[in-house]
Amino acid sequence: MVKAVKGVLVKCDASIKAMLVDIDNRHHNEFIIEDLGEEHVLVKESKIAELKQRLQDTMKERLKEPESSDSEA
Amino acid sequence: MPPKRKAAQADTDEYESQEEGALSDQETFDKLKQQFDVVAMSKRARATHAVDAASFLFKKCDQWDAHLKPDHANRPLWVDDAGRIILESFNPLFLEAQKFLITIAEPQSRVSRIHEYTLTAHSLFAAVSVGKSTAEIIKDLDGFSKTALSPSVVTFIEKSTSSFGKAKIVLKKTLSYIESDDPAILQKLLRDPTIAECRADNTDGLIHEAAPKIGAMAIPGTKMAAGANQLAQPAGDMPQPSDMMASLREEDEEEELAQVHSFQIKSEERERVVKRCQDIGLPLTEEYDMHNDTVNAKLQIDLKPHAQIRYYQEAALHKMFSNSRARSGIIVLPCGAGKTLVGITAACSVQRSVIVLCTSAMSVVQWRAEFIKWSNIDPNDIAVFTSESKGRFPRNAGIIISTYTMITSTRNRSYDSEKVMEFIRSREWGLLIADEVHVVPANIFKKVTYSIASHSKLGLTATLLREDDKIEDLNFLIGPKLYEANWQELAEQGHIAKVQCAEVWCQMTPEFYQEWLKPSSVQKRALLSIMNPKKFQACQFLIDYHERRGDKIIVFSDNVYALEKYARKLNKAYIYGDTPQAERLRILENFQHNEMVNTIFLSKIGDTSLDLPEATCLIQISSHYGSRRQEAQRLGRILRAKRRNDEGFNAFFYSLVSKDTDEMYYSSKRQAFLVDQGYAFKVITRLEGLDKRSDLAFYTPQDRRELLMDVLLAKDADADEEKIAGDMFGSRFASSGGKARKKNGARRMAGTLSELSGGQDMAYIEYNKSRNKDLKTKGIRNDFIRKLNRGVINAKKAANKG
Repeated sequence: MVKAVKGVLVKCDASIKAMLVDIDNRHHNEFIIEDLGEEHVLVKESKIAELKQRLQDTMKERLKEPESSDSEA
Repeated sequence: MPPKRKAAQADTDEYESQEEGALSDQETFDKLKQQFDVVAMSKRARATHAVDAASFLFKKCDQWDAHLKPDHANRPLWVDDAGRIILESFNPLFLEAQKFLITIAEPQSRVSRIHEYTLTAHSLFAAVSVGKSTAEIIKDLDGFSKTALSPSVVTFIEKSTSSFGKAKIVLKKTLSYIESDDPAILQKLLRDPTIAECRADNTDGLIHEAAPKIGAMAIPGTKMAAGANQLAQPAGDMPQPSDMMASLREEDEEEELAQVHSFQIKSEERERVVKRCQDIGLPLTEEYDMHNDTVNAKLQIDLKPHAQIRYYQEAALHKMFSNSRARSGIIVLPCGAGKTLVGITAACSVQRSVIVLCTSAMSVVQWRAEFIKWSNIDPNDIAVFTSESKGRFPRNAGIIISTYTMITSTRNRSYDSEKVMEFIRSREWGLLIADEVHVVPANIFKKVTYSIASHSKLGLTATLLREDDKIEDLNFLIGPKLYEANWQELAEQGHIAKVQCAEVWCQMTPEFYQEWLKPSSVQKRALLSIMNPKKFQACQFLIDYHERRGDKIIVFSDNVYALEKYARKLNKAYIYGDTPQAERLRILENFQHNEMVNTIFLSKIGDTSLDLPEATCLIQISSHYGSRRQEAQRLGRILRAKRRNDEGFNAFFYSLVSKDTDEMYYSSKRQAFLVDQGYAFKVITRLEGLDKRSDLAFYTPQDRRELLMDVLLAKDADADEEKIAGDMFGSRFASSGGKARKKNGARRMAGTLSELSGGQDMAYIEYNKSRNKDLKTKGIRNDFIRKLNRGVINAKKAANKG
């Protein structure tokens, strides 16, 4: 029997894609339906909000923000 | 700085605590800084300051109620309560104002239109020590300012200048004296029990002497020196009229109090006295009266006639020798602007024994060569004291060149070096030149000053900054900053090369980034971002591009593993800490003279003191975290480019950064210093034509995966930073120069004996082999064949003759 899943095509930088794949791997592959090359990935529609949130958390955690010049505060 | 000081102190201590004991008189420094600190003072003043709705936007420098003078448009600067000075560089009075500010304040940032300076206790100290009076400083500053000076700034200037620089410590006939114009100050000092204890002469009175005439001190190599041979110089004959005014005024004052007062202190208690005087708020200035020194032998040294020193070098030296005595201090010039020549000229002015300390054995050799090149000194009088050669000069006076490590080493020395050390300790030195003085930790430098009795000290550096707060300590240990050159101005005038700076952003490939995201050690992640194939390609692309333009390229990598990988893949020569000396020299020679060798890879041994005037392009693939100093020092490698005076010549400085990694964060920090010097960094997000090329390394995913495997298999030790013995850069503590890299352990694998002996019918080709080997001089080794060849050549010659 054919099973259909609704998906959203995500287009992003290679590095962000790597992050998405990383998140997917850590959560039993419940986000990504299909990996479509360097800059595209197909994601389950129902999970998109959660994925966005997780991506934001990861970015906050992994990337250092360039320091603002105003250090007097 | 100071408000943040507490926190900063805490973490630098933690990070260095094993290697560097806390300074014994750290509290003294802190106390002093607290006391003479403009920010702290303005804070107190601000508490009572009127506030309006927008005040919070301006934090410490809210000047809303300062009134502009009616002719403010003609005046070039503002001074705020915090002692910060904003200067318009497009104002007609700019040059004059700049000259004045350089003496009294520290330059913070000099971009094209607006310059920023800060008044600090040290800078005012320096101003006083070159003979500016408090009233003069306030009057001139007020004259230039668009608004009336606020009372807090005026009190700050008065307070700092009245306590600083009033008493001097002088070495006369090898004895230490404390000298002052004002006997009241000496009486005050003598009332202090500690200082009274250290006093050497037992009489109650003070010694009175006629003050030395200010004036005719000719710095060799200037026009003035040429004139000095023919006629006696009038006092204070300086080229600039404003200086002339200042020195004339100085003379007037001198007639009124034509004598100085002094008392003698015990030489061995000298450090204690200096410390104590700092404590009670009367720091001593160190000066050396070399013309009246009859005890130490004169050194026959003078500049060769062809040595012409440039105007800024002259200005720097004027500050050092302005009242015909040698004043201790630090001179800041960009790399390539002739720091060595300043040092040599200073040595020629002092004409006594000189000791030069550098950071590495390589620069020891360079200093020696420069001394011989620029001065008429007898080469026998220059001794070198390194781990390889332990010389002494034969006569009474001479020059010793050594490294900080050699002087401060606490480990057991060999018999030879112990003897040389004894020799160094037992003598008096006229001048101590400390090269690259910013790298020396304060307590190391203290050791140096204890073991070397020198009359004056000159620190030379391009980048007076450290990532920790230790730089201020140099103010006390050597002396104030005497001079700092403006990089952009020198570039405009062609003394150093113009540089285009660019930051190239390289995408991480997904495979690499996935690995990067996995939790792993810091080193591994750094290695992944350095070995990013996109970065590799960008590097190759830039090398190709610039080689075609005829540039000579240096590629810098802090990481030795990456250095080796890049260099072997691209078939270029490379040098790192473990490269044998002979091979280094051969590679450098080839880089300079061989047209086939246009690119070399250097680890951080190349950061400082490596003279490569051929280099015109610089690519940086990995670096030491957020070190501003390293960035500036590396830039310095191309500032002395030989071709800098060609029409429209530009040198290039690329910094390759892997996007979305920590490198981005560090890169923005690293640039801070250069941006303050007026350099602008362009960001390049994609290189035109890079994606069209298919001949670049790691083009196929297959290759990239292999590279990734390689990187992942690399040990953490490989990814570690290189440690270089005898180099002050890597290690924070000079004598901890352990073996550079650990040898890889034995590798075991299964196989048959026949395989190893070649019985499996396999042939080997060496891929990625080191270019270094190619550069060896090819000679025929075999005696028989050589003989045969010679026979053939001789036969030909004979035939030709016949």
